[in-house]
Amino acid sequence: MKKKWSVGKILTQVFLLFWLFMCMFPLYWMITMSLKDTSEIFGPNPVGLPTQWLWGNYANAWGSGGRISNYMVNSVIDTFVSLAFTSLLGFMCAYGLLRMKWKGQKVVYTYILLGMMIPMHAALYPLTEILMTLTKTHWALIIPYVAFNIPITILILSGFITNIPYEMEEAACIDGSGIYRTAFTIILPMMVPALITAAIFVFLQVWNELLLASLFTTDSVRTLTVGIKQMSGQYQTDYGSMGAGLVIATLPTLVLYMCMSSQVQKSLIAGAVKG
Amino acid sequence: MKRVLSNKWSIMVFVLPTVLFFTYIVIFPIFKTLWYSLLNEIPAKIGDASHFSGLEHYITMFTPGRRNSFPGAVVHSLEYAALSVFVQLPFSMFIALILANGPRGESMYRNIFFIPVVISSVVVSLLWGRLYKGLLPQIFESLGWTVPKNGFLGNAGTKIWLSFVPSLWQYVGYHMLLMYGALKSIPDDVIEAATVDGASGAKLAFRIQIPMIKPMLKVCLSFSLIGSFKLFDTPWVLLERANMDLPALSMYVEMFSNHKYAYASAQAIFIVLECLVFTIALNILFRDRDAGGRLLRRRKELA
Repeated sequence: MKKKWSVGKILTQVFLLFWLFMCMFPLYWMITMSLKDTSEIFGPNPVGLPTQWLWGNYANAWGSGGRISNYMVNSVIDTFVSLAFTSLLGFMCAYGLLRMKWKGQKVVYTYILLGMMIPMHAALYPLTEILMTLTKTHWALIIPYVAFNIPITILILSGFITNIPYEMEEAACIDGSGIYRTAFTIILPMMVPALITAAIFVFLQVWNELLLASLFTTDSVRTLTVGIKQMSGQYQTDYGSMGAGLVIATLPTLVLYMCMSSQVQKSLIAGAVKG
Repeated sequence: MKRVLSNKWSIMVFVLPTVLFFTYIVIFPIFKTLWYSLLNEIPAKIGDASHFSGLEHYITMFTPGRRNSFPGAVVHSLEYAALSVFVQLPFSMFIALILANGPRGESMYRNIFFIPVVISSVVVSLLWGRLYKGLLPQIFESLGWTVPKNGFLGNAGTKIWLSFVPSLWQYVGYHMLLMYGALKSIPDDVIEAATVDGASGAKLAFRIQIPMIKPMLKVCLSFSLIGSFKLFDTPWVLLERANMDLPALSMYVEMFSNHKYAYASAQAIFIVLECLVFTIALNILFRDRDAGGRLLRRRKELA
């Protein structure tokens, strides 16, 4: 009985296919745009497949004209250094806050989580005062990215770290392992799944960040989001290359999502409370 | 063992660097912004009260006047919030309910519906920009409809609404996934029991499923409300420079184009307060009305 197609089921499928189209069309359109030249985009063929596949648009955006390659390198550096620091600091802090025993640990934990409620906007001008001297370096972005992503990292880690039995520490302690060795060689490896969950969330936040990136980067350390925003102004006449730039900028997150979609979904659910 | 885990020195090594760093970069600037918002001129040293102007900026912000765009910006952000709560969320809920019923291709649909969420908001905005400036006029022309004189983003009244669409579209997948996950975690026997009692379709959704995922609805609501007040990326990319039609845009322009740092700080503080007020309001609204929990408790009592 379940396999029969009823009217309801067909309507359901029609609706789902409609939204599927709505989700996929911009992507399809972006990819086809990146392979056409401007006259074709504006001419008779705005949405169809390209008549000639102009891979040159990619070379143009990547190399001389668009300098996407520079932006990409900068984004990769900023993102991965930020990830390394948020993971390390987040893990250490979570360990000290939730694993060790001391007065006031609840207070400090709440204090850090409260930071999650605060939008970056509120710190913008004082941040420029702190970071303006660093805008020729990657640190001008890495520092705020790390600081603003520490609360959510600790929150995601906290769910896992409190579930590890204390026998772990006890056994390690009896074997003569010090607290640092225990934390980094016994507890840390057990936390890898949680760290990955947090890292994916932070990765998407940092990779796609625009506001700080547009304020705190000079030309040599410009990131992808700001870069392609500028390109869109610069390339007013060359929409094919602009499309190619958009595709290149989207590719890393899209590939990550395609390779581990359920993991990415899990991360973003875990980070949902951030708001 | 206890001694090791409560060693003051190692606790400090673990916790202190992060707490100090976090305080210096996140917490300290917020209080500084608050202080700046009460001055009539920056820079002034902390504690130097000679430039103190009290709540003057907050009053200016909401003094009606032809050149004051901030009240209008706040209204726009509330309109976006209303669209998000009354259109985007119900639509996401509708998709989530359909998917949770297990149609053919359930996980494929779910995975694809989520794709827009992982794409950068800049890319999404630029794509929609091309849509408004390129494709849509072309479609209108080929259908023989009149295209607005200055293009779709040229009309002062409608462009702000058009700039809302991309992020509403983008985050349907996010809300859908949150609700879907919550719906899937409702125990099967609850649904079965309700079905046996004759609930199905809309009745099942409104009486059982939606009440049971209230905690997640609260998460979705606060996400969309806070997102509304902070909305920046999409309209900033789509609209012309120096547009001040949303609080965050207004703050940005006042701060970095007009260099009215103190005044912009007051706007920033207002955004924070707005988020805070709505978060508290949501908490009050959802307090002790935890119907899902009540249902579960009642089931436990019966069992």
